[in-house]
Amino acid sequence: MSQRASVSMAARSRRAFLSQASGGLGALALAAVQAQHGHAARDPLAPRDPHHAPRAKSVIWCFMEGGPSHMDTFDPKPALEKYAGQPMPESYGRPLTAMPGTAHNTLMPSQRKWAQHGESGLWVSDWYPHVAEHVDDLAVIRSCTADGLNHVGSVCQMNTGSILAGRPSMGAWVTYGLGSANRNLPTYVILNDEVRINGASKNWSAGFLPAAYQGTLFKQEGAPILNLETPDAIGGRQQRGKLDLLAALNRHHKQKHPHESELDARLQSYELAFRMQAHAPEAVDLAQESEATKELYGMGEEHTAMYGRNLLLARRLVERGVRFVQAYCGGWDAHRKIEENHTKWCGVSDKPIAGLLADLKSRGMLDETLVIWGGEFGRTPFNEEGDGRDHNPWGFTIWMAGGGVKGGQAIGTTDELGLRAEESPYHVHDIHATILHLLGLDHLSLTYLHNGRSERATVNGGKLIEQALA
Amino acid sequence: MSRKIGPILCCVAALAFVATVSGATASIAGEPDFPEHQRSHWAFQPVAEPDMPASSTAHPIDAFVLARLRGEGIRPAARADRTTLIRRATFDLHGLPPTPAEVQAFVEDASPDAFAKVVDRLLASPRYGERWARHWLDLARYAESEGFKSDETRPNAWRYRDYVIESLNSDKPYDRFVQEQIAGDELWPNDPQARIATGFNRHYADESNAAILMQRRQEVLLDITDTVGSVFLGLTYSCAKCHDHKFDPILQSDYYRLQAFFTNVATDDEIHLLTERQRAERELQQSKWEEATAEIRSQMDALLEAKRADAFETQVNRRSPETRDAFRKNAGNRSMYERLLFQQHMWQMRYHNDAKLANSLPDADKQRYRELEAELAEFDHLKPAPLPVGMGIRELGPEAPATHVLSFANYAAPLEEVEPGYLTLLDPGPAAYAPALDGRSSGRRTALAGWLTGADNPLTARVMANRLWHYHFGQGIVRTPSDFGLMGERPTHPELLDWLALEFRRSGWSIKQMHRLIMNSQTYQQSSEFRQAASDEDPLNRLLWRFPPQRLEGEVIRDSMLAVAGRLNHRVGGPSVFPELPMGASQPRGGWDVPESQHAQDRRSVYVFVRRNSRYPMLESFDMPDTHESCARRSLTTTAPQALALLNSEHTLGWAQGLAGRILDAAGADRDRQIREGFRLAYSRQPDGWEKDTVLTFFETQRGIIAERAAAGEPLLLPDVLPAGMSQQEAAAVVDFAHMLLNSNEFVFGN
Repeated sequence: MSQRASVSMAARSRRAFLSQASGGLGALALAAVQAQHGHAARDPLAPRDPHHAPRAKSVIWCFMEGGPSHMDTFDPKPALEKYAGQPMPESYGRPLTAMPGTAHNTLMPSQRKWAQHGESGLWVSDWYPHVAEHVDDLAVIRSCTADGLNHVGSVCQMNTGSILAGRPSMGAWVTYGLGSANRNLPTYVILNDEVRINGASKNWSAGFLPAAYQGTLFKQEGAPILNLETPDAIGGRQQRGKLDLLAALNRHHKQKHPHESELDARLQSYELAFRMQAHAPEAVDLAQESEATKELYGMGEEHTAMYGRNLLLARRLVERGVRFVQAYCGGWDAHRKIEENHTKWCGVSDKPIAGLLADLKSRGMLDETLVIWGGEFGRTPFNEEGDGRDHNPWGFTIWMAGGGVKGGQAIGTTDELGLRAEESPYHVHDIHATILHLLGLDHLSLTYLHNGRSERATVNGGKLIEQALA
Repeated sequence: MSRKIGPILCCVAALAFVATVSGATASIAGEPDFPEHQRSHWAFQPVAEPDMPASSTAHPIDAFVLARLRGEGIRPAARADRTTLIRRATFDLHGLPPTPAEVQAFVEDASPDAFAKVVDRLLASPRYGERWARHWLDLARYAESEGFKSDETRPNAWRYRDYVIESLNSDKPYDRFVQEQIAGDELWPNDPQARIATGFNRHYADESNAAILMQRRQEVLLDITDTVGSVFLGLTYSCAKCHDHKFDPILQSDYYRLQAFFTNVATDDEIHLLTERQRAERELQQSKWEEATAEIRSQMDALLEAKRADAFETQVNRRSPETRDAFRKNAGNRSMYERLLFQQHMWQMRYHNDAKLANSLPDADKQRYRELEAELAEFDHLKPAPLPVGMGIRELGPEAPATHVLSFANYAAPLEEVEPGYLTLLDPGPAAYAPALDGRSSGRRTALAGWLTGADNPLTARVMANRLWHYHFGQGIVRTPSDFGLMGERPTHPELLDWLALEFRRSGWSIKQMHRLIMNSQTYQQSSEFRQAASDEDPLNRLLWRFPPQRLEGEVIRDSMLAVAGRLNHRVGGPSVFPELPMGASQPRGGWDVPESQHAQDRRSVYVFVRRNSRYPMLESFDMPDTHESCARRSLTTTAPQALALLNSEHTLGWAQGLAGRILDAAGADRDRQIREGFRLAYSRQPDGWEKDTVLTFFETQRGIIAERAAAGEPLLLPDVLPAGMSQQEAAAVVDFAHMLLNSNEFVFGN
């Protein structure tokens, strides 16, 4: 029986049933049980069939960490002008905020200039002039909600569905669900700028899934993956000689244990590692890109160089079959001086993101790549310290573009002030269900039996954001 | 009925159906009506003395195992050869390979109890506790930092790790081990070890920056409840926090009844560890220092007094009215919520220390303060060492706050109030408990500890006996060691499990006695050789027709490499160590303080610092579990990053240099002997002819490559020991050979 069949979805949905029986199992059952228990069958990254025809092959998630203000970027709130300098009307209540008592502070209108763009006429503020040129590709979801009040829990939830660490991240679920499309590269890659990510590796953790599904944080300099390079004191030829000896010893050992498939898997893991050594550096070698392309991503300007590099890298990775790339950006936690903070981070991300969309489109890749923009939450309509905004998980914006997404539309609304989602609220679980759906995975069927529960990426929730689908 | 329906119901779509069919009548007062398939589930039945199968074999374990094999027409495997056996036993009990001398002694020991002696020797060594503690630490979700954003270090968490190691090494009875971890502070308040044991319920991840304190508290309580239910009872209590368990007879109210045992707990991060006498000595010393420095300190205080009060007031006044109130009350008068407020805010204010405050003094005062600091330092020789402290939990009084069933586990949505209690199915009434004599504690956890280890509890002994079996064989008699419920797997050998559970109790809950029992069976000592006929009947080897071979765990791989490299630092216990991170790895938040001395870094993996958000990369890649929840069964994956770590990391290359040094030290320039020595150290055996020829050929070609590299001025990797007169390229080829031994399948697989 093949590895591929052993981990097919059909097998998986029957797994719990089969794992209960104690005798007379068919081959399918056995392999499925083995795969679940991680004790025998073993290529955790073997490609697997999706549940339905996928609309996107890969995801590039532009993660604006710290929480960008929706009411200063994609969700205009003219009513704030009307209430400027007053506290929120009593009817809004006073939500418990991250910084104690800020809900009693006065409302602060956006200082941005707003305009409608494209054929769709979607509103975008002047903080995102380049992205604004692509609005007809964006599905701007203005009614997102999340559960956490502080960064670490909320970044964690946007990645794993839970504000408490320990669950698998979306990239891990996708890797578990689909396997790898290019064994020479990691399937799930994280790219970071110079700002430390809250909660660090918890956000790309495999949680209770096997460790093979966790994300790989690419190093910014040198070889992108830990231990990728052959040490200087060994060199390529000497290394090949060693690997040949290793393969010979392992094959000889295998002859004494011809039925232990795990020994083969380990033999192959060394060959794979050797191939990765060749391919991963090629994938991150931006010297192969034209100056025009680099310019498109803003690599020529100091403030956009790093994020532009990361997004260009992201494109090269998905081009090579990497399924899930997250490129973190910022810094957006503007409790004070939001003008200064967001001017900076919008500036850092605007041209690179627009460049990414343009580049994907010109290469015919946008149709099969889901691009996501957003943070872990938005920001409040009331001020903090006079010129900043507090955290807002009750209503905020993310947008999606590309593979399977119907662009040029705004979905859902927040209330007049931008405090809470009003029409068609969508929780983080709904965002996750939609991402999985676009990749060909049904969030109710993608399960993993853990401590007696069939766990899924969307925990106890999740509904598709139907309106976003093309 | 349950066998047919239960499993299908695990599909999410069927949940609604289950809710109407299989669950007990919801958690309302009165007698819940558990359906028959729940009441008759095997794990809830009393542990019964099984009939011993008729068999010629002397060992009861073998009698039970053979009975099942015979039933399926499968023969057990022959006994494993001696080298395999001693390697198996040493990896199993020590997590290390045997030394060549140990192998030789066993191979040459003709006495009938030769293997039993090996087992006894291994159990008597402190290496045993270091190995088996790691299993328990997986269950205890042990980590030495808070998690969440800042992942701050818990500086004394390691004492719990040492407690587990020492408990295992001293063969502490398991009932006592459980009681100490649940209620050591109530039961043995004067025994520092018993109080450190309460650290078991202190290993939760905790958000020091939480905005909503009642939520933070509730999350901690959920974690404790989930973990206790899972580790000691082998039940998935956590499924019942939002609703009655969909499959098992665990009511939602049972979840909160279990939680109610813990509603009064508080952190206890300053458990004093000195004996009475040490304490008196220390106090005497402290008073000497205080006397000698009284004048200096009073001058320093005078300079800072106003600043301190200011800083405190400023800090307090920036906070909410309720926090301000909490700060102005005496510790004894704070409500539970005020305690939480105080704890969190005090913790945040700690960085306002004297040294920092002194910086804000006027120049003259600042200078004077610095002078006084220097004067004070001259008396440091009189100052006693910092008080050693441990961390665990305790209670702050006999009155516990009310516990409510929570709607969807939401702290802000309380439903009916519950009293501490056990599984309603087994014991429906509220638990009987009395406040601890010293008036500091509710006594609730004492009651729980008693129930868990009581003679009538059907789960505790079975669950632990199964865990021990699981760690010996890589698979339990119940293959879901923390799920004995209806969704868990059924025991393959239910009578054997009951017999083991009874033996466990009869032995006085001796874990070491269980190891002896299991390891001295033929079942444990049989070969791992594959047989097609047996595999056709039982492909998963559930009936144990052979010993199950499997990859070693990451800690065992690292420790074994250090050991054969001759570099393993056997120092026992103490604060954890931070071995160097792979080149280019990012610095974990919370810190990673690598000691300068390589020897200090080369300690056993159980002593490697466990930062919750950043496990040590090599161990993580080899499936060391996430520490955010209890792990009963590790994954054992095979991946390319593992290969890269063993192939290219400076660590493994260093260990290869060490092993090459040992080889050359013993064999000198004699290549045949080099090969024999390498195989002896790494595999505990001699190479066969093919292997010898292959390595000899490798030496030839590899030396050629290395010579060219040397001629080109490229760097070479040389062994720790370079015999006089040996060329560098010859020695470097031995390092390469040693490195590939460490990477080979034979090295990292146990059989």
